[in-house]
Amino acid sequence: MASRVSSKGKAKAAKGLKGSEESSAGRFVKEWSTWAMKKAKVVAHYGFIPLIIVIGMNSEPKPQLTQLFSPV
Amino acid sequence: MGSPSPPPPLGLASVLPPKEAEEKKEKKVDYLNLPCPVPFEEIQREALMSLKPELFEGLRFDFTKGLNHKFSLSHSVFMGSMELPSQSSDTLKVPTAHYEFGANYLDPKLMLVGRILTDGRLNARVKCDLTDNLTMKINAQLTNEPHYSQGMFNFDYKGKDYRAQFQIGNNAFYGANYIQSVTPHLSLGSEVFWLGHQRKSGIGFAARYNTDKMVATGQIASTGIVALSYVQKVSEKVSLASDFMYNHMTRDVTSSFGYDYILRQCRLRGKLDSNGVVAAYLEERLNMGVNFILSAEIDHRKKDYKFGFGMTVGE
Repeated sequence: MASRVSSKGKAKAAKGLKGSEESSAGRFVKEWSTWAMKKAKVVAHYGFIPLIIVIGMNSEPKPQLTQLFSPV
Repeated sequence: MGSPSPPPPLGLASVLPPKEAEEKKEKKVDYLNLPCPVPFEEIQREALMSLKPELFEGLRFDFTKGLNHKFSLSHSVFMGSMELPSQSSDTLKVPTAHYEFGANYLDPKLMLVGRILTDGRLNARVKCDLTDNLTMKINAQLTNEPHYSQGMFNFDYKGKDYRAQFQIGNNAFYGANYIQSVTPHLSLGSEVFWLGHQRKSGIGFAARYNTDKMVATGQIASTGIVALSYVQKVSEKVSLASDFMYNHMTRDVTSSFGYDYILRQCRLRGKLDSNGVVAAYLEERLNMGVNFILSAEIDHRKKDYKFGFGMTVGE
Protein backbone atom coordinates (compact mmCIF):
# COMPACT_ATOMS: atom_id res chain seq x y z
CA MET A 1 0.00 0.00 0.00
CA ALA A 2 2.76 2.36 0.98
CA SER A 3 4.81 1.29 -2.07
CA ARG A 4 1.77 1.89 -4.37
CA VAL A 5 1.26 5.33 -2.90
CA SER A 6 4.95 6.11 -3.20
CA SER A 7 5.06 4.82 -6.83
CA LYS A 8 1.99 6.93 -7.62
CA GLY A 9 3.69 9.88 -5.99
CA LYS A 10 6.87 9.28 -8.03
CA ALA A 11 4.89 8.98 -11.29
CA LYS A 12 3.08 12.17 -10.48
CA ALA A 13 6.37 13.88 -9.63
CA ALA A 14 7.90 12.64 -12.90
CA LYS A 15 4.87 13.85 -14.90
CA GLY A 16 4.91 17.10 -13.01
CA LEU A 17 8.56 17.63 -13.88
CA LYS A 18 8.03 16.87 -17.57
CA GLY A 19 4.93 19.10 -17.65
CA SER A 20 6.78 22.02 -16.10
CA GLU A 21 9.65 21.59 -18.58
CA GLU A 22 7.30 21.87 -21.56
CA SER A 23 5.33 24.71 -20.05
CA SER A 24 8.53 26.54 -19.15
CA ALA A 25 9.69 26.45 -22.80
CA GLY A 26 6.27 27.71 -23.94
CA ARG A 27 6.18 30.23 -21.15
CA PHE A 28 9.67 31.44 -22.07
CA VAL A 29 8.58 32.13 -25.68
CA LYS A 30 5.39 33.87 -24.55
CA GLU A 31 7.21 36.01 -21.99
CA TRP A 32 9.93 36.93 -24.48
CA SER A 33 7.37 37.89 -27.14
CA THR A 34 5.36 39.94 -24.63
CA TRP A 35 8.59 41.71 -23.53
CA ALA A 36 9.42 42.36 -27.20
CA MET A 37 5.95 43.73 -27.93
CA LYS A 38 6.14 46.05 -24.91
CA LYS A 39 9.53 47.40 -26.00
CA ALA A 40 8.29 47.76 -29.58
CA LYS A 41 5.27 49.71 -28.38
CA VAL A 42 7.44 52.14 -26.39
CA VAL A 43 9.81 52.56 -29.36
CA ALA A 44 6.90 53.20 -31.72
CA HIS A 45 5.25 55.61 -29.29
CA TYR A 46 8.34 57.79 -28.90
CA GLY A 47 9.98 57.29 -32.25
CA PHE A 48 7.22 57.35 -34.89
CA ILE A 49 6.85 61.11 -35.26
CA PRO A 50 10.65 61.73 -35.18
CA LEU A 51 10.96 59.01 -37.84
CA ILE A 52 8.49 60.81 -40.10
CA ILE A 53 10.32 64.10 -39.54
CA VAL A 54 13.71 62.57 -40.36
CA ILE A 55 12.38 60.91 -43.52
CA GLY A 56 10.65 64.12 -44.54
CA MET A 57 13.66 66.37 -43.97
CA ASN A 58 15.77 64.07 -46.12
CA SER A 59 13.35 63.91 -49.06
CA GLU A 60 13.90 66.00 -52.19
CA PRO A 61 13.76 69.04 -52.32
CA LYS A 62 15.40 69.24 -48.88
CA PRO A 63 13.61 71.74 -46.64
CA GLN A 64 15.56 73.99 -44.28
CA LEU A 65 15.69 73.33 -40.55
CA THR A 66 14.25 76.79 -39.83
CA GLN A 67 11.18 75.91 -41.89
CA LEU A 68 10.45 73.19 -39.37
CA PHE A 69 9.92 75.68 -36.54
CA SER A 70 8.71 78.89 -38.14
CA PRO A 71 4.98 79.37 -38.77
CA VAL A 72 5.39 80.79 -42.27
CA MET B 1 -29.94 38.28 -105.32
CA GLY B 2 -28.84 40.39 -102.40
CA SER B 3 -30.87 40.90 -99.20
CA PRO B 4 -33.98 43.06 -99.69
CA SER B 5 -33.49 46.74 -98.86
CA PRO B 6 -34.92 47.88 -95.49
CA PRO B 7 -38.35 49.59 -95.60
CA PRO B 8 -38.24 53.38 -95.79
CA PRO B 9 -38.28 55.04 -92.31
CA LEU B 10 -41.67 56.30 -91.07
CA GLY B 11 -42.65 59.08 -88.70
CA LEU B 12 -40.03 60.13 -86.11
CA ALA B 13 -37.50 57.63 -87.44
CA SER B 14 -37.16 59.70 -90.59
CA VAL B 15 -36.21 62.79 -88.53
CA LEU B 16 -33.75 61.27 -86.01
CA PRO B 17 -30.27 60.21 -87.15
CA PRO B 18 -29.94 56.45 -87.68
CA LYS B 19 -28.33 54.46 -84.83
CA GLU B 20 -24.79 53.38 -85.54
CA ALA B 21 -23.95 49.69 -85.62
CA GLU B 22 -20.94 50.28 -83.35
CA GLU B 23 -23.21 51.29 -80.43
CA LYS B 24 -24.60 47.77 -80.40
CA LYS B 25 -21.08 46.32 -80.37
CA GLU B 26 -20.00 48.40 -77.31
CA LYS B 27 -22.94 47.13 -75.28
CA LYS B 28 -21.58 43.59 -75.39
CA VAL B 29 -19.93 42.81 -72.04
CA ASP B 30 -16.41 41.45 -71.99
CA TYR B 31 -16.48 39.27 -68.90
CA LEU B 32 -12.74 38.73 -68.99
CA ASN B 33 -12.02 42.42 -68.81
CA LEU B 34 -14.00 43.69 -65.85
CA PRO B 35 -12.89 46.76 -63.88
CA CYS B 36 -11.26 46.37 -60.49
CA PRO B 37 -13.79 46.79 -57.68
CA VAL B 38 -13.49 49.29 -54.84
CA PRO B 39 -11.88 47.96 -51.66
CA PHE B 40 -14.26 46.09 -49.36
CA GLU B 41 -14.13 48.65 -46.55
CA GLU B 42 -14.95 51.44 -49.01
CA ILE B 43 -17.98 49.74 -50.42
CA GLN B 44 -20.26 52.37 -48.91
CA ARG B 45 -17.90 55.30 -49.31
CA GLU B 46 -20.18 57.58 -51.32
CA ALA B 47 -22.94 57.15 -48.77
CA LEU B 48 -20.55 57.66 -45.85
CA MET B 49 -19.05 60.79 -47.40
CA SER B 50 -22.44 62.38 -47.84
CA LEU B 51 -24.18 61.18 -44.70
CA LYS B 52 -21.43 61.15 -42.10
CA PRO B 53 -19.39 64.34 -42.12
CA GLU B 54 -17.12 64.97 -39.13
CA LEU B 55 -19.56 66.84 -36.94
CA PHE B 56 -18.07 68.45 -33.86
CA GLU B 57 -19.03 70.75 -31.02
CA GLY B 58 -16.86 73.69 -30.07
CA LEU B 59 -13.94 75.38 -31.73
CA ARG B 60 -11.61 73.71 -34.16
CA PHE B 61 -8.55 75.19 -35.78
CA ASP B 62 -6.25 73.27 -38.12
CA PHE B 63 -3.08 74.58 -39.61
CA THR B 64 -1.17 72.53 -42.17
CA LYS B 65 2.22 73.71 -43.27
CA GLY B 66 3.85 72.08 -46.24
CA LEU B 67 7.63 71.97 -46.23
CA ASN B 68 7.86 70.29 -49.60
CA HIS B 69 5.28 68.59 -51.72
CA LYS B 70 5.68 65.28 -49.89
CA PHE B 71 6.25 66.36 -46.29
CA SER B 72 4.01 68.56 -44.14
CA LEU B 73 3.44 69.35 -40.50
CA SER B 74 0.06 70.05 -38.96
CA HIS B 75 -1.02 71.83 -35.79
CA SER B 76 -4.55 71.44 -34.58
CA VAL B 77 -6.41 72.98 -31.63
CA PHE B 78 -9.77 71.81 -30.34
CA MET B 79 -11.80 73.32 -27.51
CA GLY B 80 -15.23 71.96 -26.85
CA SER B 81 -17.32 69.21 -25.40
CA MET B 82 -16.79 65.56 -26.11
CA GLU B 83 -19.59 63.17 -25.52
CA LEU B 84 -19.12 60.23 -23.19
CA PRO B 85 -21.16 57.12 -23.82
CA SER B 86 -23.72 56.82 -21.03
CA GLN B 87 -26.18 54.07 -20.18
CA SER B 88 -29.12 56.32 -19.44
CA SER B 89 -30.81 58.45 -22.06
CA ASP B 90 -29.03 61.57 -20.76
CA THR B 91 -26.01 62.72 -22.68
CA LEU B 92 -22.83 63.19 -20.69
CA LYS B 93 -20.61 65.91 -22.04
CA VAL B 94 -17.11 66.60 -20.83
CA PRO B 95 -15.36 69.85 -21.76
CA THR B 96 -12.00 69.06 -23.33
CA ALA B 97 -9.27 71.04 -24.94
CA HIS B 98 -6.29 69.61 -26.73
CA TYR B 99 -3.50 70.45 -29.10
CA GLU B 100 -2.46 67.93 -31.67
CA PHE B 101 0.79 67.91 -33.58
CA GLY B 102 1.04 65.90 -36.73
CA ALA B 103 3.53 65.03 -39.42
CA ASN B 104 2.65 63.61 -42.84
CA TYR B 105 4.91 62.10 -45.44
CA LEU B 106 3.09 61.30 -48.66
CA ASP B 107 4.94 59.42 -51.35
CA PRO B 108 3.29 57.32 -54.08
CA LYS B 109 4.86 54.21 -52.55
CA LEU B 110 4.97 55.08 -48.86
CA MET B 111 2.59 57.10 -46.79
CA LEU B 112 3.30 57.92 -43.13
CA VAL B 113 0.83 59.89 -41.04
CA GLY B 114 1.34 60.49 -37.33
CA ARG B 115 -0.61 62.59 -34.88
CA ILE B 116 0.21 63.08 -31.22
CA LEU B 117 -2.03 64.77 -28.66
CA THR B 118 -1.17 66.62 -25.47
CA ASP B 119 -2.28 63.67 -23.35
CA GLY B 120 0.25 61.40 -25.01
CA ARG B 121 -1.99 59.50 -27.38
CA LEU B 122 -0.43 58.68 -30.74
CA ASN B 123 -2.40 57.95 -33.91
CA ALA B 124 -0.20 56.35 -36.51
CA ARG B 125 -1.01 55.26 -40.06
CA VAL B 126 1.43 53.66 -42.44
CA LYS B 127 0.69 52.58 -46.00
CA CYS B 128 3.44 50.88 -47.92
CA ASP B 129 3.32 49.43 -51.45
CA LEU B 130 5.40 46.29 -51.18
CA THR B 131 4.92 45.38 -54.83
CA ASP B 132 2.64 46.68 -57.60
CA ASN B 133 -0.30 44.69 -56.32
CA LEU B 134 0.45 44.07 -52.64
CA THR B 135 -0.03 46.85 -50.11
CA MET B 136 0.59 46.78 -46.39
CA LYS B 137 -1.29 49.15 -44.09
CA ILE B 138 -0.72 49.65 -40.39
CA ASN B 139 -3.15 51.57 -38.21
CA ALA B 140 -2.37 52.11 -34.53
CA GLN B 141 -3.58 54.14 -31.55
CA LEU B 142 -1.02 54.05 -28.77
CA THR B 143 -1.78 55.43 -25.34
CA ASN B 144 0.13 55.85 -22.12
CA GLU B 145 -2.41 53.83 -20.18
CA PRO B 146 -1.63 50.15 -20.34
CA HIS B 147 -3.96 47.80 -22.25
CA TYR B 148 -5.70 50.63 -24.09
CA SER B 149 -3.55 50.64 -27.19
CA GLN B 150 -4.87 49.22 -30.44
CA GLY B 151 -3.15 48.22 -33.62
CA MET B 152 -4.11 46.62 -36.90
CA PHE B 153 -2.07 45.26 -39.79
CA ASN B 154 -3.72 44.92 -43.21
CA PHE B 155 -2.32 43.18 -46.25
CA ASP B 156 -4.17 44.03 -49.46
CA TYR B 157 -3.76 42.23 -52.73
CA LYS B 158 -5.21 43.80 -55.86
CA GLY B 159 -5.92 41.39 -58.69
CA LYS B 160 -7.26 42.08 -62.17
CA ASP B 161 -10.92 42.19 -61.20
CA TYR B 162 -10.82 41.26 -57.53
CA ARG B 163 -9.32 42.40 -54.26
CA ALA B 164 -8.39 40.35 -51.23
CA GLN B 165 -7.41 41.60 -47.79
CA PHE B 166 -6.05 39.94 -44.68
CA GLN B 167 -6.12 41.70 -41.30
CA ILE B 168 -4.33 41.01 -38.03
CA GLY B 169 -5.17 43.11 -34.99
CA ASN B 170 -4.36 43.19 -31.30
CA ASN B 171 -6.48 41.12 -28.91
CA ALA B 172 -5.91 38.29 -31.41
CA PHE B 173 -8.20 39.68 -34.09
CA TYR B 174 -7.95 38.04 -37.49
CA GLY B 175 -10.03 39.03 -40.47
CA ALA B 176 -10.12 38.48 -44.20
CA ASN B 177 -12.26 39.85 -46.97
CA TYR B 178 -12.63 39.35 -50.68
CA ILE B 179 -14.49 41.31 -53.34
CA GLN B 180 -14.99 40.40 -56.99
CA SER B 181 -16.40 42.26 -59.99
CA VAL B 182 -19.16 40.15 -61.46
CA THR B 183 -20.38 42.49 -64.19
CA PRO B 184 -19.10 45.95 -65.17
CA HIS B 185 -21.56 47.43 -62.67
CA LEU B 186 -21.98 44.80 -59.96
CA SER B 187 -19.43 43.58 -57.46
CA LEU B 188 -19.95 41.06 -54.68
CA GLY B 189 -17.83 40.54 -51.63
CA SER B 190 -17.66 38.73 -48.33
CA GLU B 191 -15.68 38.91 -45.13
CA VAL B 192 -14.90 36.70 -42.15
CA PHE B 193 -13.37 37.65 -38.84
CA TRP B 194 -12.29 35.89 -35.67
CA LEU B 195 -11.78 37.44 -32.25
CA GLY B 196 -9.34 35.32 -30.30
CA HIS B 197 -9.86 36.44 -26.74
CA GLN B 198 -13.63 36.25 -26.84
CA ARG B 199 -13.78 33.30 -29.21
CA LYS B 200 -16.24 35.13 -31.45
CA SER B 201 -16.34 34.80 -35.19
CA GLY B 202 -18.49 36.31 -37.87
CA ILE B 203 -19.13 36.30 -41.57
CA GLY B 204 -20.66 38.96 -43.75
CA PHE B 205 -21.68 39.52 -47.36
CA ALA B 206 -21.84 42.69 -49.38
CA ALA B 207 -22.97 43.75 -52.83
CA ARG B 208 -22.43 46.99 -54.70
CA TYR B 209 -24.12 48.08 -57.88
CA ASN B 210 -22.94 51.31 -59.42
CA THR B 211 -23.42 53.21 -62.63
CA ASP B 212 -22.29 56.73 -63.49
CA LYS B 213 -25.30 58.19 -61.78
CA MET B 214 -26.02 56.02 -58.82
CA VAL B 215 -24.53 53.62 -56.31
CA ALA B 216 -26.56 51.06 -54.39
CA THR B 217 -24.98 48.85 -51.74
CA GLY B 218 -26.20 46.20 -49.36
CA GLN B 219 -24.41 44.49 -46.50
CA ILE B 220 -25.48 41.73 -44.18
CA ALA B 221 -23.42 40.24 -41.37
CA SER B 222 -23.78 37.38 -38.93
CA THR B 223 -23.50 39.87 -36.07
CA GLY B 224 -27.10 40.67 -36.97
CA ILE B 225 -26.54 43.88 -38.92
CA VAL B 226 -28.21 44.67 -42.22
CA ALA B 227 -27.12 47.90 -43.92
CA LEU B 228 -28.41 49.26 -47.21
CA SER B 229 -27.53 52.51 -48.89
CA TYR B 230 -28.38 54.34 -52.08
CA VAL B 231 -26.69 57.41 -53.54
CA GLN B 232 -27.96 59.23 -56.61
CA LYS B 233 -25.89 61.83 -58.39
CA VAL B 234 -28.57 64.27 -59.46
CA SER B 235 -26.17 66.61 -61.21
CA GLU B 236 -22.47 67.53 -61.19
CA LYS B 237 -22.96 69.58 -58.06
CA VAL B 238 -25.69 67.75 -56.18
CA SER B 239 -26.03 64.25 -54.86
CA LEU B 240 -28.66 62.73 -52.64
CA ALA B 241 -28.04 59.78 -50.38
CA SER B 242 -30.12 57.55 -48.18
CA ASP B 243 -29.17 54.86 -45.74
CA PHE B 244 -30.92 52.12 -43.76
CA MET B 245 -29.47 50.11 -40.89
CA TYR B 246 -31.08 47.32 -38.87
CA ASN B 247 -29.45 45.69 -35.87
CA HIS B 248 -31.08 42.39 -35.05
CA MET B 249 -29.49 42.02 -31.61
CA THR B 250 -30.66 45.34 -30.23
CA ARG B 251 -33.71 45.63 -32.51
CA ASP B 252 -32.46 49.04 -33.57
CA VAL B 253 -33.58 50.52 -36.86
CA THR B 254 -32.14 53.73 -38.26
CA SER B 255 -32.79 55.34 -41.55
CA SER B 256 -31.37 58.60 -42.80
CA PHE B 257 -31.60 60.81 -45.82
CA GLY B 258 -29.05 63.42 -46.82
CA TYR B 259 -27.85 65.79 -49.49
CA ASP B 260 -24.42 66.87 -50.62
CA TYR B 261 -23.95 70.10 -52.55
CA ILE B 262 -20.46 70.56 -53.97
CA LEU B 263 -20.36 74.13 -55.22
CA ARG B 264 -17.49 76.28 -56.37
CA GLN B 265 -16.87 78.07 -53.07
CA CYS B 266 -18.42 75.71 -50.56
CA ARG B 267 -19.51 72.20 -49.77
CA LEU B 268 -22.74 71.78 -47.85
CA ARG B 269 -23.87 68.45 -46.47
CA GLY B 270 -27.05 67.92 -44.53
CA LYS B 271 -28.96 64.97 -43.23
CA LEU B 272 -32.19 64.02 -41.54
CA ASP B 273 -32.45 60.90 -39.42
CA SER B 274 -35.22 58.64 -38.16
CA ASN B 275 -33.90 59.17 -34.61
CA GLY B 276 -34.98 62.78 -34.83
CA VAL B 277 -31.52 64.14 -35.63
CA VAL B 278 -31.00 66.94 -38.12
CA ALA B 279 -27.41 67.78 -38.98
CA ALA B 280 -25.57 70.06 -41.37
CA TYR B 281 -21.92 70.67 -42.17
CA LEU B 282 -20.63 73.57 -44.22
CA GLU B 283 -17.12 74.10 -45.54
CA GLU B 284 -16.69 77.49 -47.13
CA ARG B 285 -13.60 78.46 -49.04
CA LEU B 286 -12.76 82.00 -48.05
CA ASN B 287 -9.44 82.26 -49.81
CA MET B 288 -6.82 80.00 -51.32
CA GLY B 289 -6.18 77.43 -48.62
CA VAL B 290 -8.40 79.05 -45.96
CA ASN B 291 -11.62 77.22 -45.17
CA PHE B 292 -14.30 78.17 -42.72
CA ILE B 293 -16.28 75.31 -41.18
CA LEU B 294 -19.68 75.30 -39.50
CA SER B 295 -21.16 72.19 -37.97
CA ALA B 296 -24.60 71.72 -36.42
CA GLU B 297 -26.34 68.69 -35.02
CA ILE B 298 -29.76 68.94 -33.41
CA ASP B 299 -31.15 65.87 -31.67
CA HIS B 300 -34.78 66.59 -31.05
CA ARG B 301 -35.47 63.39 -29.19
CA LYS B 302 -32.71 63.76 -26.60
CA LYS B 303 -32.82 67.57 -26.66
CA ASP B 304 -29.10 67.74 -27.41
CA TYR B 305 -27.91 70.68 -29.49
CA LYS B 306 -24.38 70.77 -30.81
CA PHE B 307 -22.90 73.66 -32.73
CA GLY B 308 -19.33 74.05 -33.79
CA PHE B 309 -17.22 76.41 -35.84
CA GLY B 310 -13.68 76.30 -37.05
CA MET B 311 -11.08 77.22 -39.56
CA THR B 312 -8.68 75.19 -41.65
CA VAL B 313 -5.59 76.85 -42.99
CA GLY B 314 -3.32 75.15 -45.46
CA GLU B 315 -3.88 72.53 -48.09
